[in-house]
Formats: sequence, structure tokens, C-alpha cells
Amino acid sequence: MIEFKEAAVVAPETGVPILHPTTLTLDEQRITIIGANGSGKSTLARLINGLALPVSGSVHVDGLDTRKHGALVRRKVGFLFTDPSAQLIMPTALEDVMLSLRRVIRSKSERVKAALAALEDIGLGGKGDVSVNALSGGQRQLLALAGVLTATPMIVVADEPTTLLDLRWKAHVGALLHALPIQLIEVTHDLEAATKAQRTLVIDEGSVVFDGSPDDAVAHYRDLMFRKTKEQSA
Amino acid sequence: MNPALGSFRTGASPLHRLPAWSKVLGLFVWAVVTMIISDPVTGLGLCAAALLLLISTLPAPKPTLKGLGFILFVAAMTASYQVYRGDVAAGIDIAADLVGLFSLSLAVTGSTSMNDMLDFATRVARPFRRIVPPTIPGLMFAIMLRTIPEVSRIMRESRDAARARGIRRNMTALMIPTATRTVGFALDLGAALHARGIGDEASSDASKGRRVSLAAPAPTD
Repeated sequence: MIEFKEAAVVAPETGVPILHPTTLTLDEQRITIIGANGSGKSTLARLINGLALPVSGSVHVDGLDTRKHGALVRRKVGFLFTDPSAQLIMPTALEDVMLSLRRVIRSKSERVKAALAALEDIGLGGKGDVSVNALSGGQRQLLALAGVLTATPMIVVADEPTTLLDLRWKAHVGALLHALPIQLIEVTHDLEAATKAQRTLVIDEGSVVFDGSPDDAVAHYRDLMFRKTKEQSA
Repeated sequence: MNPALGSFRTGASPLHRLPAWSKVLGLFVWAVVTMIISDPVTGLGLCAAALLLLISTLPAPKPTLKGLGFILFVAAMTASYQVYRGDVAAGIDIAADLVGLFSLSLAVTGSTSMNDMLDFATRVARPFRRIVPPTIPGLMFAIMLRTIPEVSRIMRESRDAARARGIRRNMTALMIPTATRTVGFALDLGAALHARGIGDEASSDASKGRRVSLAAPAPTD
């Protein structure tokens, strides 16, 4: 279970609020977060695994404070970025997955076996020795997901994981994410994907302005954007 | 990517079967020996042996030839200077040493996976664990290798963006976006390392061995 208790984030240099004090409990299996660019939704997502820390209030994952137990929280919460290129660290696909396993499996031969199985599972069987630079955008995102999943997280936070992908890969990565037997929190601009959840948050100007059923959330967001566009052009 | 870096290819050559530490040690000893012995015949012999070792690893032809072409050019320039000074033997010896050492380094990197290198670097750094966590030096090396093609890509895109706006041969238009985007990539990479818990040295209570399996087949590219 993820708990935000009056968690707030401000820009370090300007002091401008990025996320106003927010209190939330996230325990549904599928939660989506939508909002305009710069609304604070990625910051909210990053708070969950301690990539961002609140300046006031706190965030707890399974009772662990992200500020005090960052390393333990990151073992429970996997994070998938928009651009997989920055998430892949090692030169080849197999080596990158093996990197995630170093902490969990000491034996090298066992690590190779587990990494090959993870690549096979995710649909990258036979790509183990391929350079990460030679993989397509979709394959890179799959590899990034394999790296996240081999660390056996309890929660996956995905920050716009399909934004850079074509329609085919978007559908495939989306389906894989939604089939995960663990809690998934997805930040997305894809309103169709946003409805495939049990709960959706709408973020605007650093605040949660709607929290409820996905269909109502999307309707609220559309209305919000329509009003803002109208105000801008007036 | 620099052909000397991150060029590992799987194989079954004798060099592939050797442990990483023995190859790195061998490379070090080879470098010392070639520096100490300044005899052109020995230099040429060692160079030929290094080239044979490189061939035995069946490296990727194009990047290997590209890398060798560059080092041959450097060796030729160095040898020409020695010949100009009237020392033909030194010219041959230095050129042979350069080509030999470069070939052997290609053979070592081409036959050693990054994970083996990481394990080796981690073991070497273990005595210094009070100063730096043992996993860090190897990780830094891996990140350096990973960053080279990305910086090269960023530079190419920056050049194309400048050209698209009608700007040619302008170093400012090339270097400033390259530098700022490289910093952006470094920040993203840092966030990714952080998110994957790499470098977290805290003791573990992580769940072990539980695999999250997926079944859907991936689209083919």
C-alpha cells in the first residue's frame, strides 16, 4: 500500500510548488494518472520510489518511509521511464538484465540462466547478445521492463511508458503492463489506456483535482483542458 | 561506438574461455614487455602474435578494420618521425608495439563480456571498499561505454538540427545543444540507476527468486 501524507514538492532553486501538499492512499491494482504537461504527475510518480523526495509530509510504501528507507523502497517499487535509452546501462540486452540480478543472484551461471529466461518471457529471446543500440524503441522498452521485473518488485510505476512507441508496440507494451500480476501505477497521456484501471487521478497545477473512476476522470480532464484552451484564446 | 570499446561477441575461442583477470593481467604484462624490449624483430613478432590472437576471437570485421586503420595511421606517423630522425629500428619497433598492443586490447575486449569485466573490477576494488563501494568502479566503466554511442547520437542530431535551420560550420550551434542534452542524458541515466537500486549499498530484505512471468509474444521488428 502506498500512502501520501501531506507530501509536497517545490522546485529546489525557485521554490515554486511542483506538488501541493497531497494526501492519498493507493492500494488498487491498476491506477492511472493523467494531466497536462508540467502538471506534476511525473513528480507524484517519482515520489513513490524515492526518486523525488517530499520537502514536507511523507510518502510510505508498505509502511516504509521513502526518505528513511529509500533503498528498501526501491526494491519494492520498480520504475519504468518514458525513454528506455536512459534506463539501459549495459552494452548488450543480456548484460543489462544481468545487472538487475546482481543483487539477488550471486552465482554467475544462475544469473545468466535467469536473465535469459527473463528475456524469453518478455519476447526478446535470442536478443541477449544484441547491442542495446541495435534494438528498436519498442524492444528497448521491453528490455527496460525486463530489467525492472527481474528485480521482483511488488509495484511498478510507469511514467508514460508508451509515449515514444508506435501503435503496434504501444499496444504490446500496454498489454504486457496490464497483465502484470502486481500493482501498476501508470502515468499516461493515452486516455484510452487511462481507462483500463480501477482508479484514475487527474493532476493539474500540482494538485490532485479528481480522484475516482477512470471514465469520470477522463471526462473531467477533457472538460478541464477544454476550459483552459477557451480561457487561453479569450 | 569506438571499435575498441564494448565490442564483445560471444564465441568459443581460447581467449573467450580464459577468465577476465588473466586476460587483463596478460595485457598489462604484454604492455610492460613491449615497452622494455626495444628490438624491431621482437616487436614485429609480438605484433604478429597479437594480430593472430585478435583473429582467433573472430571479431566483427568492419569496426575492427576501422579501429586498426586508425591505429595504423597513428603508427605510421610515429614511425615516420623516428625515420626522419634517422632511427629506423626505433620507428619499426614503436609502430609494431602500438599496433600489437591495440590488437591485443581489441582481442581482450572482444572476448570478455561486460559482466565479466564488472566482476573483475569489483574484485579488484574490494580492498578499497572503505573508500569506494566495490561495485562502483566497474559500473563507472560500463556507464562510460554506454554513454559513448549516446553522445555520438546527440552530436549527430544537434548537427542535423543546426543544418535544418540553415546553420553550417558553427561550433556554438553544435556544441551547446550537444553539451546541454548530454547533461540531460546523464541526469536521466542517474535517475535510472537510482530507480533500479544500483549503488544502493543498504542491506537487503528483498524478495528472492520470485519471477514475474509474461506470456504475450512481442511484435517483430
